Amino acid sequence: MPRNSDLLSSLRSRLTPLENHLIDGYVDGRVNRREFLRHGSVLGLSLPLLGRLSLAAGLGAVPTMARAGVQPGATIRVGCATPVSMDPVRLGSPGGVLLVMQVGEFLCINEPDRVLSPCLATSWKPNQDGTVWTFVLRKGVKFHSGGEMKADDVVATFDRLADPNSASPALSAFRGILQKGATRKLDDYTIEFHLDSPIGNFPYLVSSDNYNTVILPASYAGDFETTWDGTGPFKIEKFDRRRGASFVPFEDYWGPKTLPARTEFVFYDDIQPQILALQGGQIDVINTASALDSVALMNDPAIDILAIKSSGHMSIHMRCDIEPFNDPRIRRAVALCIDREKLVKGLMKGQAIIGNDSPFAPIYPSTDPTVPQRMRDVAQAKELMKAAGMEKGFQAKITLPKQSELPAYAQLVQAWVKEIGIDLQLQVLDWKSYAGDAKYGSSPWLDVPMGMMTWGNRGVPNVYLASSLMSTGTWNSAHFKNEQFDTLTKGYIAALDLEAQRATAGKIQRLMLEETPGVYAYFWSYLSPVKKGVVGVKPNAMGQLFLQGAGKA
Amino acid sequence: MTSIAAAPHARRKELLAALLRSGSFLTGVIIVLFWIACALFGRHFVPYDPLAEDILDSLAQPSAQHWFGTDPLGRDIFSRFIVGSRDILTVAPLATVLGTLIGTALGLLTGYFRGIVDDVVSRLFEAFMAMPTIIVALLAIVALGTSKTTVIIVIGLAFAPSIARTVRSAVLSERELDYVAAAKLRRENAAHIMFVEILPNVLPPVVVESTVRLSYAIFGVATLSFLGFGLQPPSPDWGLSISANYGMIAGGYWWTVLFDALAIASLVIGVNLIADGLHGALDA
Repeated sequence: MPRNSDLLSSLRSRLTPLENHLIDGYVDGRVNRREFLRHGSVLGLSLPLLGRLSLAAGLGAVPTMARAGVQPGATIRVGCATPVSMDPVRLGSPGGVLLVMQVGEFLCINEPDRVLSPCLATSWKPNQDGTVWTFVLRKGVKFHSGGEMKADDVVATFDRLADPNSASPALSAFRGILQKGATRKLDDYTIEFHLDSPIGNFPYLVSSDNYNTVILPASYAGDFETTWDGTGPFKIEKFDRRRGASFVPFEDYWGPKTLPARTEFVFYDDIQPQILALQGGQIDVINTASALDSVALMNDPAIDILAIKSSGHMSIHMRCDIEPFNDPRIRRAVALCIDREKLVKGLMKGQAIIGNDSPFAPIYPSTDPTVPQRMRDVAQAKELMKAAGMEKGFQAKITLPKQSELPAYAQLVQAWVKEIGIDLQLQVLDWKSYAGDAKYGSSPWLDVPMGMMTWGNRGVPNVYLASSLMSTGTWNSAHFKNEQFDTLTKGYIAALDLEAQRATAGKIQRLMLEETPGVYAYFWSYLSPVKKGVVGVKPNAMGQLFLQGAGKA
Repeated sequence: MTSIAAAPHARRKELLAALLRSGSFLTGVIIVLFWIACALFGRHFVPYDPLAEDILDSLAQPSAQHWFGTDPLGRDIFSRFIVGSRDILTVAPLATVLGTLIGTALGLLTGYFRGIVDDVVSRLFEAFMAMPTIIVALLAIVALGTSKTTVIIVIGLAFAPSIARTVRSAVLSERELDYVAAAKLRRENAAHIMFVEILPNVLPPVVVESTVRLSYAIFGVATLSFLGFGLQPPSPDWGLSISANYGMIAGGYWWTVLFDALAIASLVIGVNLIADGLHGALDA
């Protein structure tokens, strides 16, 4: 496809130096199309504009979403985990996240292809250093209770979440970044976020990626379970805390026509009954199932499994401040025993990508692909054990929650580290016992010498880096304290430019290979089993299901 | 003195003959001996290391290479099936012995002394037995931490009240008999009367009750393992394996669960057949 230099110049003349730098990278081949779309969306460039730029640069059109072949009027039945809390401010359970987003919406949406698309905001822009982000709101959006969504509602939503007394999980993303009162109304349809420090990927923090940021009316009084007042394509029909919920289309929805006549959500406490219900035709979709659970469905010709690559992972952490893991050589030796290819092929049935002992998943555009991949090397691991004075090995205990494939993964690790003389005992706890109150001193997760943890998908690695690895992190289970890491992470989070992000990411990735506070062996794919013939179901890797375009073929 | 005390040798011969005539007892013994042999020597004749994973050969169907197939980690299920009896046959009998010792001692005390001792201890037993055993066991394990010792203590203590009640009932009738009065006239102390005079005469119901309790203990250990509160991975324990793999049934991977379930069932049936045979022989 030939380049249209005149059109490209014309389009570029309206863009900022930062945006033009991204286009330079795309045209020169330093940034691929996926990265171009993704980072362009973070900077607030619309998908049509990105498409025109791509065409003008002679690099082809960008893909668009289609709704072809979907019959309207269907009832879509979804199996999901029983929700714990329905208050969007305190929301944290997978079932709650799924239900609330049926009626509520976000400023922007992290799409399954990890491109940010406009939702209640139509566009956004950073200032020059990324400390102020301006969002333009969509006009004519109605709450289910009747009022129009305006800037006051958005300001109140973010002030509520940024309030240190809110106890919202969103604080893990906003702490030290967005204070209460820092979301300001410019007019009824324009707001500004004034950040404590520059954040290059800030739009992700106010997108569906941060599931607490559902826009609520300014008058919200914590009674969501009664009012279910949002702006989304569905409104509540019936809710039974123990059994399930059903939704019907919201007539005054601002967006495309909602296709299903009804959606039903059936609550389950375990995945196995969901699998049986899907096979038995009682439900059409399972919101999420791990690879190990999905094995039961992979050979079923009546089931399709929708897979989305994600940054979600199972990390193994080793306490850097107590023996024997206070020696980085021991930690590296453990990491070198892990057979990542076997994990992906065998345990994950191919539904994962190999990790390189940092939270920089290959799906992130900012991940530096030139960093050497750590592979299994038992001989080198033995040398490291010898250099650390541990050639005879030692006994240790790994503690983990009984969740998903973690016990199976732990048994494989146990077998592999035995080859270098580490006698690893397993302690498997139920989730609540393991997590405790998620505070140092009263949480096995944060206190044990060696443990495992499940981390859900994030559009950007900021939370993983800041919360679980920085010296001041609230969930730093490895007790990893490294000034160089802290400085690099702050630089990474602040960088607006993709290539600057990637350069810093590379340094962090190399430092983590050297220090190895944990093992990040693979990043799992998010799997949603769907009955054949059910089309238009759009899951994302955050456990959210977009059903407004769903139907039966 | 009682007939056992008067002619113990003849009584034992009679009992042995009755047991050897009992089909259910012999069948039970064969089943249990098979599993004991597996527990003791299984590791020496299984075709694969029961802990050795081969993740790239996971969930293989039963075949000549893997008679019972492989589990999700590619481990040979037949090898784990054989060796899996080891932990359950260690924990369940020890828990039963502990429960029997404590229960018998308490049953003798309450039945012999009666009065305030009987009232207080019996009410405590009733309160304890009113709570579901598995819930009590779970609470204790959460408080004490998971280990084989904890499971033995918890199940042993949980069974003690029912054994104590059985012993108490037997002691209540025995304490009124002449040989007990004779012992008192000889100024024997209470401990001697309870443990030397009365105990041999209440042993038959104790033995039967203990055997029945053993089958409950097998279920208890398997249940705790299934719930994740018993033995820890990578133990080939049957309950643990069922817990780890039961989700596979829906996908058609029946072999990951069926053989372990059959193993538990056969061991429980074997123990129950022994209890049945004992009961018949002792009543004869």
